[in-house]
Amino acid sequence: MAPTRARRKTGSTGEPVESRDKQLLLRIFETMVMTRAVEDRMVSMYRSGDLLGSLYTGHWHEAISVGTASALRQDDFLAPIHRDLGAHLWRGLDPAQVMASFMGKATSPTRGRDGTLHYGRLDLNIYNLPSHIPDNYPVAIGAAFAFQYRSEDRVSLAYCGDGSTSEGNFHESLNIAAVMKLPAIFIVENNQYAYSTPVRLQSAVKEYAVKAQAYGMPGVTVDGTDVLAVYDATSEAVVRARAGEGPSLIEGVTMRMHGHAEHDPADYVPREMLEEWQKRDPVVLFENVLLEHGILDEEIVSKMREAARQKAIEARKKALADPLPDPATVEEGVYAD
Amino acid sequence: MQTDNGQVTYLDAIGQALMSEMEADPDVFIIGEDVGQFGGAFKVTKGFLDKFGPRRVVDTPMAESGFTGLAAGAALLGLRPVVEYQFADFISAAFDQIVNVMARHHYRTGDPMPVTLRAPFGARLRAGPTHSQSVESYFAHVPGLKIVIPGTPEDAAGLLISSIRDNNPVLFLESKYLYRRLRTSAPLSLEPMPLGQAKVVREGSQVSVITYGAYVSECLDVAAELGKEGISAEVVDVRTLVPLDVETIVASVKKTSRAVVVHEAARRLGYGAEIAAVIQEECFWWLDQPVLRVAARNTPTPTSPPLEDAVVPQAAQIAETVRKVATA
Repeated sequence: MAPTRARRKTGSTGEPVESRDKQLLLRIFETMVMTRAVEDRMVSMYRSGDLLGSLYTGHWHEAISVGTASALRQDDFLAPIHRDLGAHLWRGLDPAQVMASFMGKATSPTRGRDGTLHYGRLDLNIYNLPSHIPDNYPVAIGAAFAFQYRSEDRVSLAYCGDGSTSEGNFHESLNIAAVMKLPAIFIVENNQYAYSTPVRLQSAVKEYAVKAQAYGMPGVTVDGTDVLAVYDATSEAVVRARAGEGPSLIEGVTMRMHGHAEHDPADYVPREMLEEWQKRDPVVLFENVLLEHGILDEEIVSKMREAARQKAIEARKKALADPLPDPATVEEGVYAD
Repeated sequence: MQTDNGQVTYLDAIGQALMSEMEADPDVFIIGEDVGQFGGAFKVTKGFLDKFGPRRVVDTPMAESGFTGLAAGAALLGLRPVVEYQFADFISAAFDQIVNVMARHHYRTGDPMPVTLRAPFGARLRAGPTHSQSVESYFAHVPGLKIVIPGTPEDAAGLLISSIRDNNPVLFLESKYLYRRLRTSAPLSLEPMPLGQAKVVREGSQVSVITYGAYVSECLDVAAELGKEGISAEVVDVRTLVPLDVETIVASVKKTSRAVVVHEAARRLGYGAEIAAVIQEECFWWLDQPVLRVAARNTPTPTSPPLEDAVVPQAAQIAETVRKVATA
């Protein structure tokens, strides 16, 4: 499917594009392009049998993952899920390590002990979550607690999907964070489906941001394909959190354009729905904004996309050549010293 | 908190150990339901709020999973949380966070996870099926967790200090039956005791009685009674279920050639099954008798006294089994 060149104004209520930090805009765009390039490459790797199991991608979540991560400092804590590769790349994770994770290589962040989407690195202030989502929510409020405990002005930001909002950990975390006024930001990536379950079977409330009210925190729904809208909403929440005013919830509305994972053809998704969302590719939308404002030109864009493609190809080569872990080490590290 | 001659209860020993660790290390804090102003469901943290303030004595909403995960996240950022559950029975609400978030974390990532999970557990208080459970076997199956069950006030203090200083999640199960029943025989020492060491608490030659928790003192009483009949029973207090001190257990059984494992948890897949299996793997040829278990029946723990007494091991039942194995 060739992406449609949709032209659309940003829905951001923030400052005009021309008065924003140009370097920041370029870095955001470059990371979104890189995220797409790495995931597209991994889809072909999945198809050609390079990967151990299935592949979870974040197509159409790039504006959320990068828009949020770029509004934080490097020392803020992130607790992403499997749609948020962009947040990891923003922090500096090597794409080869992501691929190595899906291949069980010794060079993956878990040294092959975990795999697939479990590539978070604490040295990048990113939590490596288990498969149980949103188990990362309580952990994220724990990081926020530690910042409050030490009177640091760092914040903690956690992601989950629409399905996760039905879990007890979602509720408990929002409630605790609000009661304790923790510097936490909760992102709900509403991508219309939790595996095959559509949002109408997940929640009687259509706007997930409404749920924030019940906990006593601000909640806002933004266009999850509009990176500047996501960035602005996150920045607002960050200001609140750093000022000790407590947590916020942001719902980013987007679409899961692939199956739950690549093994899933997602036949339960109506064709027309995908066609409609196809027009709202967040990478293309942001590209158009930058073109419109003369921050980029077509030539630079195509160079950036090609550079990202080459980097992804190089990352694959590296990951393929990386060693598998030594089975003699399998019992090491069950316990810390 | 203590008598004139310096004796303290099992409960106060835990409180004093926790307090000394909080005094020594500003990264240690206590979190749980009603631990602040109320001083905890059993009053282990009585006076802590006044001493340390609400930053380090953290009352939470009623959300075991949420505050357990909070502790995990705080530990990743370098703090050393001590989590209190009002009853071990309620820890099931936090099972996912303990098993999937905490226990696997170091193996997956190499990051330390220094959390101590304190939970009062066990029966004989007429508290019924959902307030009397022994939860150790659920967790003993999970790699990455340590499990400590002290049987004396001295061990409760020393092992709690080591648990808090450990870089792994430690499930510290407190016998609520012992809270106010046992006292130290001397002023309490607040020195750490290493995890993973069982202790021979009574020397004997004819049979090894291997036990932990509230049944340590029970088995010592039984052994003393059997001594009057001329039966010499050795009592081994396991103290740390994970990691298990196989060496001390095996040395005892090789000496006596007979073993009985005693615990309050239900018999089926209770921790005694593991100990019995280890014994037959390590010293089958030294055994003169099959290893027997004295454990609770495979029922929930009923409330009414005659029913509860019929379920959890009684002294007479322990004595009968030990006598049988020792003299057969």
